[in-house]
Amino acid sequence: MMVFVLFFIAAFGLLGQTFADSQAFLRQYCEKCHQDKAPAGGFRLSRITTEESLATDAAKWLSLTNRVKNGEMPPKGAPVPPIEAREAFGNWVGTAVHEKACAAGIVPGSALIRRLNRDEYAATVRDLLDMHMDIARTLPMDGAGGEGFDNAAETLFLSPLHTEKYLELAKFATDFAAKEFKSHARIFVAKPGPGVTPEQAARTILNVFLPRAFRRPVTEAEVAPYLELFRAAQKQKEPFEASVLFALRGALVSPNFLFRVESANTGTAARPLNQYALASRLSYFLWGSMPDELLTDLAAKGKLQDPEVLKQMVKILLRNDRSMGFAERFTEQWLHTRDLGGDKAPDAKLFADLAKDEDLRSDIRYQPIMFFREVFLQNLSLEYFLDSKHTIGTRKLERHFGLKLELRPNQTSQPHWVPLPEKSNRGGLLGMPAVLSVSSYPYRTSPVLRGAWILESMLGTPPPPPPANVPALEEHREGTAPKTVRERLAQHRNDPVCASCHSRIDPFGFALENYDVTGKWRAEEGGKAIDASAELLDGTKFAGPEGLRQVLLDRKDLFVRHLTNKLLGYALGRGLTLQDSCTVDAIVTKLKDNGYSARLLLEEIVTSAPFRNQAGMPAPKELVKR
Amino acid sequence: MKTGLSRRVMLRGAGVGLGLPWLEAMAATGAKPPVRMAALYMPNGVNVDHWTPKGTGRDFELSKTLSPLAAVKDKLVVMSNLWNANSIGGDGHYVKEAAILTCVTIKKTPGADIGNGVSVDQMAARKSGIETPLPSLELGVTPVAIGVDAVVGYTRVYGSHIAWSDATTPLAREINPRSAYERLFRAASGQSDIAGKMDTLLLDRVLGDANRLRGQLGTADKIRVDEYMSLMRALEQRVQRASAGTQRTWKARVPMDSKAIPPEKPADHAEHVRLMMDMIATAFQTDTTRVATFMFGNAVSNVSFRFLEGVSAGHHDVSHHAKEADKLRQYQLVNQWHVAQYAYLLERLAGMREGESTVLDNSMVLFASALSDGNSHNPHKLPLLLGGRGGGRIDSGQHLVYSEDSPLANLYVSMLDAFGAPVERFADSTGPLAGLLKGG
Repeated sequence: MMVFVLFFIAAFGLLGQTFADSQAFLRQYCEKCHQDKAPAGGFRLSRITTEESLATDAAKWLSLTNRVKNGEMPPKGAPVPPIEAREAFGNWVGTAVHEKACAAGIVPGSALIRRLNRDEYAATVRDLLDMHMDIARTLPMDGAGGEGFDNAAETLFLSPLHTEKYLELAKFATDFAAKEFKSHARIFVAKPGPGVTPEQAARTILNVFLPRAFRRPVTEAEVAPYLELFRAAQKQKEPFEASVLFALRGALVSPNFLFRVESANTGTAARPLNQYALASRLSYFLWGSMPDELLTDLAAKGKLQDPEVLKQMVKILLRNDRSMGFAERFTEQWLHTRDLGGDKAPDAKLFADLAKDEDLRSDIRYQPIMFFREVFLQNLSLEYFLDSKHTIGTRKLERHFGLKLELRPNQTSQPHWVPLPEKSNRGGLLGMPAVLSVSSYPYRTSPVLRGAWILESMLGTPPPPPPANVPALEEHREGTAPKTVRERLAQHRNDPVCASCHSRIDPFGFALENYDVTGKWRAEEGGKAIDASAELLDGTKFAGPEGLRQVLLDRKDLFVRHLTNKLLGYALGRGLTLQDSCTVDAIVTKLKDNGYSARLLLEEIVTSAPFRNQAGMPAPKELVKR
Repeated sequence: MKTGLSRRVMLRGAGVGLGLPWLEAMAATGAKPPVRMAALYMPNGVNVDHWTPKGTGRDFELSKTLSPLAAVKDKLVVMSNLWNANSIGGDGHYVKEAAILTCVTIKKTPGADIGNGVSVDQMAARKSGIETPLPSLELGVTPVAIGVDAVVGYTRVYGSHIAWSDATTPLAREINPRSAYERLFRAASGQSDIAGKMDTLLLDRVLGDANRLRGQLGTADKIRVDEYMSLMRALEQRVQRASAGTQRTWKARVPMDSKAIPPEKPADHAEHVRLMMDMIATAFQTDTTRVATFMFGNAVSNVSFRFLEGVSAGHHDVSHHAKEADKLRQYQLVNQWHVAQYAYLLERLAGMREGESTVLDNSMVLFASALSDGNSHNPHKLPLLLGGRGGGRIDSGQHLVYSEDSPLANLYVSMLDAFGAPVERFADSTGPLAGLLKGG
């Protein structure tokens, strides 16, 4: 709890607000319209005049606070509170509602049935059929929701395009698998022969295949429709194997395969998740694919709810190569580096060397991904993401950095873990070109974009939206000398409307100006020495990446909380609720007491109440966190 | 890229030599060609100084940005002063762009309770979708934007979809030209009787399995399985419609050329867009579908336009011109390029004969942006063009100027009327769009 409060104090200097203050604020700015018999928008302030309402009407409190924070309320024409008052009010409400909710104990949120996303589908087909081919290339990409990931149940929509592709890909995958030795052996565990009818063999095959495809035991009644498909194909004079494959095609378009289903909890109370569902939660979290035999076996023995077993599984699953899929998907969406393949790539004409060098671009892309995985594999401190004595290196990255790295002699083209020399300026995520590029324009760096990137991706405190009708910056007036970006931004911050946010955003970006768009180090730009000095709102002065790292390390609680939010949201595949933030509190406190151990974070997530339990019906009223 | 060009030429030729028999048969029976509807969406607004034509009514002069449309000017309607009242507020992009075809206010959410309306194209597809192998075609050139825009609090799903089959379901887009082509080809050529039968059987059994699963789920989950089942059922029906044999009720108006396969990875943005225009033209010509949407980019798209002579930045960057002369100049060039792609599609459709008329005569192709001036995220005076004569219903060759802030939804009421799927109201419409339809 302390951490949460500290978070706001650290971020906004929030002290001394009380319930009475909040009521005074509401009376001053809202009461005029929101009272009497016909209050505006049907909302009457009298609904929330007791402290108890923070618990019983938490959703109302949060939604009105959001509107105030966003500047939607009070409406145009009404007296508007100053931005500091708005924020102080909003932050107080957030903290107070949170405190009330957590006092009531942790309640798991509900997990909707969801289809496998594109990557999960590809990995699952790969592991199910034991074939090494990305068959999902032609599937549409998924959008993202929740905490910003494409595995969020709420945004995994289904289109006619999907159903068509599923039908086609099922045929493609089974045809392909039939020709591969390993896949063929995996599927055809029985064949007709003396004393074995084709139907008996098909039944044996389906009895093995379907539980794997559906990620749980199946009943005889569930096998029946697929056996019927086999029979129908036989009737069409299809050979035995083709008939089996036809039945498997059916299984691959079944909702039992395409969706992650957790059988309904019809009681009103939360309950521990079914073993097989838990096995899937684990494997889709840390692999992005179906459970393997070990997990299925533990589920069959009923051992997966044991916290010690769960912790053990974190280690085992991480060590498997499949956890690269997790590292890639999580890291690229957390840091937004997936966009490097699109609009955000450095301009090909301006940075021709990079554009031409596919290996270097690949090394740049994989550096944060592999770094992320190593931090967890080696169980380092989470502080490593902010500053580190190691990085992921290759010969090409070494040249890009202009450093001498102790690369493994025979592996200079393979990205691997290397120590960094003293004062390398390459420690932590902020020394990585992928991060520095994705927070730049394709053709120039931007302290605003980089600052906003740090606020959002590192600290979890994104800047508020720009106010409506921002006056356009009239830059470069006739007769004046062109200004540098820094000078223009200084001008920007002279306008109090802009300054309220930009003085919070820009300093972080200024400190990174020594890195160009591609993440290369530069001492000057256009003949002028780089000025990487910066000053925060509270007067803290710092300069360059080293100074920035220290500033971030001083705020590591914010960082750790943000990463915990992100990982928990990814693990649960949904947006976090108010109740989930209580889980996050507990995890962050535990991390703080244990040297920010990376693996502990994953262990705490998989043993947490929302990960291991299933909400009852009707699901507890969920509150959106923000 | 030479091969790309030759493929395009082949595609273009596809209908001409091969398509006559069916077409003539159609002409002989006196059946009217079907009406098609497409919407092309351009992100980031326009340089308003060079958009609006001079003059009104039939006597108008194309502006600089609209100059690429000279050859099809008499089949074009330019509409000025319409706006989407429900897209005001919220934020600068998502609220505007997600609602360009729905005209409702989207729900502000990182994803949990997404909400929009049914888009005009999907209203049309509800009628025509059961008559063609594909209910509608959703195309784009850039993948879905990932993540939640934490600054404004909207999931980027909103900025990546303009076609919504219902309030909670955005439709996935195809961005790979080859996949799009293959999909059209498969749909248009159908399959053998046996293969169709087997697919039908397979889907039937799977639906049985889904139904069993449905019985074990809670309410919220049931809704999702219901969605799955209705889509699978629709697929089953489409398989039946397009298979050879007695169930077949649809035939391509013009066969597709199996050799005209576009590349999987186009050489650049420009080629990519052109190939997708070709896909719409082919789909309409063959009658594989009668409804299509295309997104030139997602909301806030910052695709680099440095491939254009005189442009040095990305799309979103130039739209935030800050009234700087040079950026405004670049902004106009980018707008004009988009209009030229639109003109290319209209001209292609105009070149496809269909009895006495052309496919363009029997189509209506909307070009729209959800903002006027991108710098100020202005949702008033939207840039809107409608090409084609909608089967002869549209009174084309005009610049229609309305009183300020007339509802965009009125245009959709009229388009749905011309399409043959009339509605009383569409979102906040107040009636049909005066002067658009003949006698209207």
